[in-house]
Amino acid sequence: MLPYSIREGLAGLKRARFSSIASTSAMSIALVLIGMFAIVTYQANSVSDWLRQRVGELELFLADIDEASAMALHARAEITPGVSEASYISKQEAEEIFRMEFGDEAEMFFDQAFLPASIKVRIAPNYANADSLGVLAAEFATWTRVDDVIYNQPLLVKVQQNLNMITVLGLSLGFMVLFASAFLVANTIRLTIYARRLLIRTMKLVGATDGFVRSPFVVEGVAQGIIAGGIAFALLTMIYSGVQNYIPQMTTISTGTGLMLGFGIILFGVGLGWAGSHFAVRRFIKKISLN
Amino acid sequence: MSFPLPEGGRKEVLKDVSFKIDRGELVYLVGPTGSGKSTLLKLMYMDNKPDSGTVRIADFRSDKISNSDIPFLRRSLGVVFQDFQLLPDRNVFDNVAFVLYVTGKKGKSVNNKVMQVLSRVGLNHKRNRFPHELSGGEQQRVVIARAIVNDPWIILADEPTGNLDPAVADEILRLILGLNQQGMTILISTHDYRLVKKFPSRTLAVLNGTVVEVDPESLGS
Repeated sequence: MLPYSIREGLAGLKRARFSSIASTSAMSIALVLIGMFAIVTYQANSVSDWLRQRVGELELFLADIDEASAMALHARAEITPGVSEASYISKQEAEEIFRMEFGDEAEMFFDQAFLPASIKVRIAPNYANADSLGVLAAEFATWTRVDDVIYNQPLLVKVQQNLNMITVLGLSLGFMVLFASAFLVANTIRLTIYARRLLIRTMKLVGATDGFVRSPFVVEGVAQGIIAGGIAFALLTMIYSGVQNYIPQMTTISTGTGLMLGFGIILFGVGLGWAGSHFAVRRFIKKISLN
Repeated sequence: MSFPLPEGGRKEVLKDVSFKIDRGELVYLVGPTGSGKSTLLKLMYMDNKPDSGTVRIADFRSDKISNSDIPFLRRSLGVVFQDFQLLPDRNVFDNVAFVLYVTGKKGKSVNNKVMQVLSRVGLNHKRNRFPHELSGGEQQRVVIARAIVNDPWIILADEPTGNLDPAVADEILRLILGLNQQGMTILISTHDYRLVKKFPSRTLAVLNGTVVEVDPESLGS
């Protein structure tokens, strides 16, 4: 047989059906908002990393060396800390790129001597900032047979600044969403428990301790949190699949990450339900402790 | 004992109150509406605390008791309220069983005890009904069942017939008198002098804030 508080907490879901629906709906909405914010943040981080990696690309122009030496440099670049990937561009490939970029006019400007072999270096996301890029470029410049290293530091600085601003705005928005959600849930739970204040008073009048009165309400809040977490996860999955149909470029969330997100949302729901009911009931119990 | 007034100041309700009830006694507490009968009962189950002086109920003292000990006092008393104070979202059985769950009892012992007291008040057949499905008299019977299920050493009945018509009021009072005949100590507050005269017993009156002993026959109608 289940302990009294669990049995009564679960029965409370059925007894106060309207309050349960109201609290669970409020929590579901709050969790969907928080979950959406988490997904947007995750996507924004992916885009931010992608953008910084591409803006922070380095071109290592090589001296006139044979293919084997060039490949050795390429291999060395690939294992340099901070490098995500490196690709070797031979003179012939450079010529092809040149012709493709300039099209019909290519012959007018074409000069084999100005198209050296090069190594294009894409840096790791955590190195994609102006300082690390400068250090990395300086290191490549010390390599023998590397004639020149070029990269667009001012653009990276600008992109970095804009991304920082977007991050601050995003975080502020996130806190506002979190605060509004917590406020919505706290008030809904408080109102539903306020509606049952006479019940609490009666329980106290016949000898129930504060803990005995409180525990079924808390169990009810936690149960509502679990249900709300499940609903929110299902809704988020549907919203995400829907949006992904329109924006296929969105990063696909792996099953593992998705399950972790689901678990996190349910856990957050449990926390929300526990905190909301615990504090709301405690408040009313204290208020009616004597007369 | 005094209460704050909306326009400021305080209204004194009870002063210099002292009385004793023997085990197994049935005592009426009479007085007009607003005389302080309910306040006196609330002092006994410590829903109110006195401004000065001490209320002593068994081993509990109002000046020493902590809020966390009040539930233990209330479990040792049986209180019958005029407005029933039933849990509206629970059926008759669960309303009575609640008092036993509070004390940590569970399982078959709860079931047996609840069925026993429901039989005593004649409501066994309505154990699955909810309070709103019962008449006033039936609701008061549930309250009485809830009050006696813990075998309290005293029953405090605050205007138990106040919301009932005369025939049902007589029936409820007979039920309470029956409990007294079985040895239960009972204090009934009422302003229904008709009932006191019909079922006479020791009577205390709240007059001008004090409690005095009166002859039930001397009460007006």
